Amino acid sequence: MIWHIATREIYENLNSLRFGLTTLLLLALMLTNAVVHLREHPKRMQKYHDAVAESLNSLRDRADNLYELVRRGPGRLYKTPSSLHFCAEGGEAFLPNVVHGGSGDWGWASGLRSIWRLKYPTVTPNVDNIEPDITKVDWGFIVGYVLSLIALLFTFDAIAGERESGTLRLMLANAIPRHTVLLGKFLGALISLLIPFTLATLMNLLVISMSRSVQLTAGEWGRLGIIFIIAILYVCLFLALGLLVSARVQRSAVSLVILLLTWVGLVVFMPNTLASIASGFSSPMSSDEYRKRRKEIGSELRKKYDTYDAEQPERRRRELAEYVTEEAQLQERLNQEHLAQQLEQVREARSITRISPVAMVQHLFEAFAGTGFERHRQFLQNVRPYARQFQKFVIETDRHDAESLHVVGVREGMSQKKVAMEAIPKFKDTLDLGRDFNTAAMDLLLLVLFLIVLLLGAYLAFVRVEI
Amino acid sequence: MLTTLIRRELLDNLMTFRFAAALLVMLLLVVANTAVLINDYERRLGDYNTAVKTNRQELQKKKMYADGEIVLNRPPNPLSIFNVGLDKRLGNELWLMYNTVPTLWEAGMNGSDNPLLNLFSAIDLGFIFEVVLSLIALMFAYDALAGERERGTLRLVLTNSVSRGHLLLAKYISAMTCLLVPVVMSLLFALILLTTSAAISLRADDFLRIGGIFLASIAYLSVFYLIGLLISAITHRTSTALMLAMFVWGFLVLVYPNMMLATLETSDIPQERAASALNHIKQIWEEFDRERQRFLAADAFPGEDSKFNIKGYWGYAVESYYQNRLTLFNIYDRTLAFDEIDEEYQPAVPHVQNYHRFLIPLTIQTADRTWLIRKEALVDTLVRQANLKRTLLKLSPLGVYDAATQAWAGTNLLGIRDFFDAARQYRQTVITYYEDKDAFGAREWFLADKSAADWSTLPQFSFERRSVEINAKRALPDMMLLLMISLVLFMAIFLIFVRSEV
Repeated sequence: MIWHIATREIYENLNSLRFGLTTLLLLALMLTNAVVHLREHPKRMQKYHDAVAESLNSLRDRADNLYELVRRGPGRLYKTPSSLHFCAEGGEAFLPNVVHGGSGDWGWASGLRSIWRLKYPTVTPNVDNIEPDITKVDWGFIVGYVLSLIALLFTFDAIAGERESGTLRLMLANAIPRHTVLLGKFLGALISLLIPFTLATLMNLLVISMSRSVQLTAGEWGRLGIIFIIAILYVCLFLALGLLVSARVQRSAVSLVILLLTWVGLVVFMPNTLASIASGFSSPMSSDEYRKRRKEIGSELRKKYDTYDAEQPERRRRELAEYVTEEAQLQERLNQEHLAQQLEQVREARSITRISPVAMVQHLFEAFAGTGFERHRQFLQNVRPYARQFQKFVIETDRHDAESLHVVGVREGMSQKKVAMEAIPKFKDTLDLGRDFNTAAMDLLLLVLFLIVLLLGAYLAFVRVEI
Repeated sequence: MLTTLIRRELLDNLMTFRFAAALLVMLLLVVANTAVLINDYERRLGDYNTAVKTNRQELQKKKMYADGEIVLNRPPNPLSIFNVGLDKRLGNELWLMYNTVPTLWEAGMNGSDNPLLNLFSAIDLGFIFEVVLSLIALMFAYDALAGERERGTLRLVLTNSVSRGHLLLAKYISAMTCLLVPVVMSLLFALILLTTSAAISLRADDFLRIGGIFLASIAYLSVFYLIGLLISAITHRTSTALMLAMFVWGFLVLVYPNMMLATLETSDIPQERAASALNHIKQIWEEFDRERQRFLAADAFPGEDSKFNIKGYWGYAVESYYQNRLTLFNIYDRTLAFDEIDEEYQPAVPHVQNYHRFLIPLTIQTADRTWLIRKEALVDTLVRQANLKRTLLKLSPLGVYDAATQAWAGTNLLGIRDFFDAARQYRQTVITYYEDKDAFGAREWFLADKSAADWSTLPQFSFERRSVEINAKRALPDMMLLLMISLVLFMAIFLIFVRSEV
């Protein structure tokens, strides 16, 4: 019986104006997305490879001398771009793609140089960009904004419309339970919406996979599948919302007004307004305070190590090595604290925006596409073990040099030998889906929860309403 | 007759659920966002005030003129609450240098404590109006004709001696009156909130600008209402009209602007144009360098390089050429600044003074010459592209309205460039001031052993937004465009409606 109702709905929809317009709109958007991706992605990869190559080249220059490695560090460490960038752009332009492991640029006592520490550059990508603002047309936009609106347009009159035309009473005069009608309507709307969406998605993927410049691996196809399923869940959410309102309201025009205004609130405004409000709750270290604390660290250490005996060069060397090491450590810790507070502020704001389903689905898309904020945090987490590994490597190498005095941090105290380029550990930024899934699980659960609540709500509303 | 019709329509519209719902949502959104925006503005204003103060204090500490960095800060625009435009995004801190003419591309960013927050886009009142007003207008319009036709009331009305033109006019006037209510009320609420904030002081001309934004909003509303009416006139069933209206809305507001910008190539600077300009600029600087060498060769001081081999305490000497492809400059930078120098270098001081007296005016002159080339090249490479995109955005009424409100608020590109024009003018003032004092040739230009630089008489920089007439002039084309679209739409509806059967 459910199928009977569903197929009736589908046939009705297939001939309708909204079906045709939806197909056109989705196809146009998805093709735009594919074309833009094919144009941008090779450039992005090229830029990344060039940057990594340059970073390795400068590392090779430093490898002539172990002390130079200590002083100038591993250099710039880059975030690998995701090839699923077209699914979720993730505000990548606002996230730095590099962590800098380099020197602190000062000389205090003559000949004394600071050693490397991790520095986190920030990006203000738009500071010289005079072009109009843009929301990237990625899958997140197409599904989150356009498809959700269309889902409402498919369901707003599902029950209210039939009630108006009187066919609902006719249908229920037969021995059909109400939940069957509701489910049939739901499935009918879902399938008639999935037809154009699947078509557009397939076209998109076809265009992307036909190109030779963008290659997708098996794992990436799998993640695309998950993203597609999430999109369906999200569409279901809005279909259920549409049915709920449509069941409660007598006239379809009123139903549409309510739905559209809800949509505007939930989708267009809530994510950003909530994020702006939520980001006001915590105040991370200001840049003035950061600069002040940097200075303090410097002057305190200078005071601490200024009491030395010039007669004992041996001890002095050891002290200076301690000094530069401690300075680098403290400054790095400060950098990390500064960054952690900034990240925390954003994380908090993001978790509050979860109330809006569009934010939820965009977080999920980002998680599985390997872009955006969570991916950035993962990149930062990948950097830290590498930094420790690099430090360990330098100390080990120095220990193996018999001529060295093993005072790591000052030029005279340590090995000046050439280091084999192959032996130096290289940074490798990898995407770990397991960790991704942990961050995504919460969003996924919430999405399913919302869906169940709305479906139940629609069911209850429809069962109890008079016709 | 017209008044009867208008009254009927007015009552019809005002008593509907959609009107109440629209009003409620609009007010909620406006109040919530205005509070957030005011907060944000106050923070930016605070940052600006601190920056101005610190920069002034830092300057007073400098003992040498060459060492004194004059930093200009761009104040946040209070009307950015209505349309933020480029106000928050573009650089707000400019280091004034004698060897380069500043543009907005040289400006840096001050006062954003967490740049990661840029992940969340700001919502200004203009955006709320853009999205919600257009939606409401279409919701009012889609059944205006199709609905009456369906119910048969259209036929009834027209059996009286009512001309069709009058009927259309009545519908238009009454619907616009209704639609004005949410606009006026939300603007009033926003203004009340604005006046409660201590940090924001709106002047009389700001109210005129807000009035301009109000007019633009009405014109925008009218365009969308008429689009809805057109759809209503050409369709026979309300459900079709509704679907069509929603898809048109989705396309014009949601899809078109983003899709258009995505398809257009992201701006890579046209390489050849930039390269040729940079080459030209380089040539001018090479000419400058030759003249400099000639002067040094003619100078009687023996065995010198251009730093005159001076060593001193707490000072530095820098001499280099910088090049920047994006902002197309190539500059010669020279700083020589010492607190004290050794006695043995004292004989060199008059030579250095002499050299500076010659060199710095020449540098300024050369920078001014290269500026003429840079100015055009920057327009060709960066501004024109951005303007093209903005023009294409105007194919949707949303783009026109956005441009108009930005022009009124003074947060569009022209408004931001006003600041940099003022900064360039101020640079001239400072240069003239230095010249009058003969600061370039003074000992204090680079050496503070006898007496320090005196900053007390330096002219102060202050930036005033351009007058409201300028805003009006800039907004006028877009306002006219909105009105024209309205007129054309109205005429089209009239023609269709007159010929259609009832």
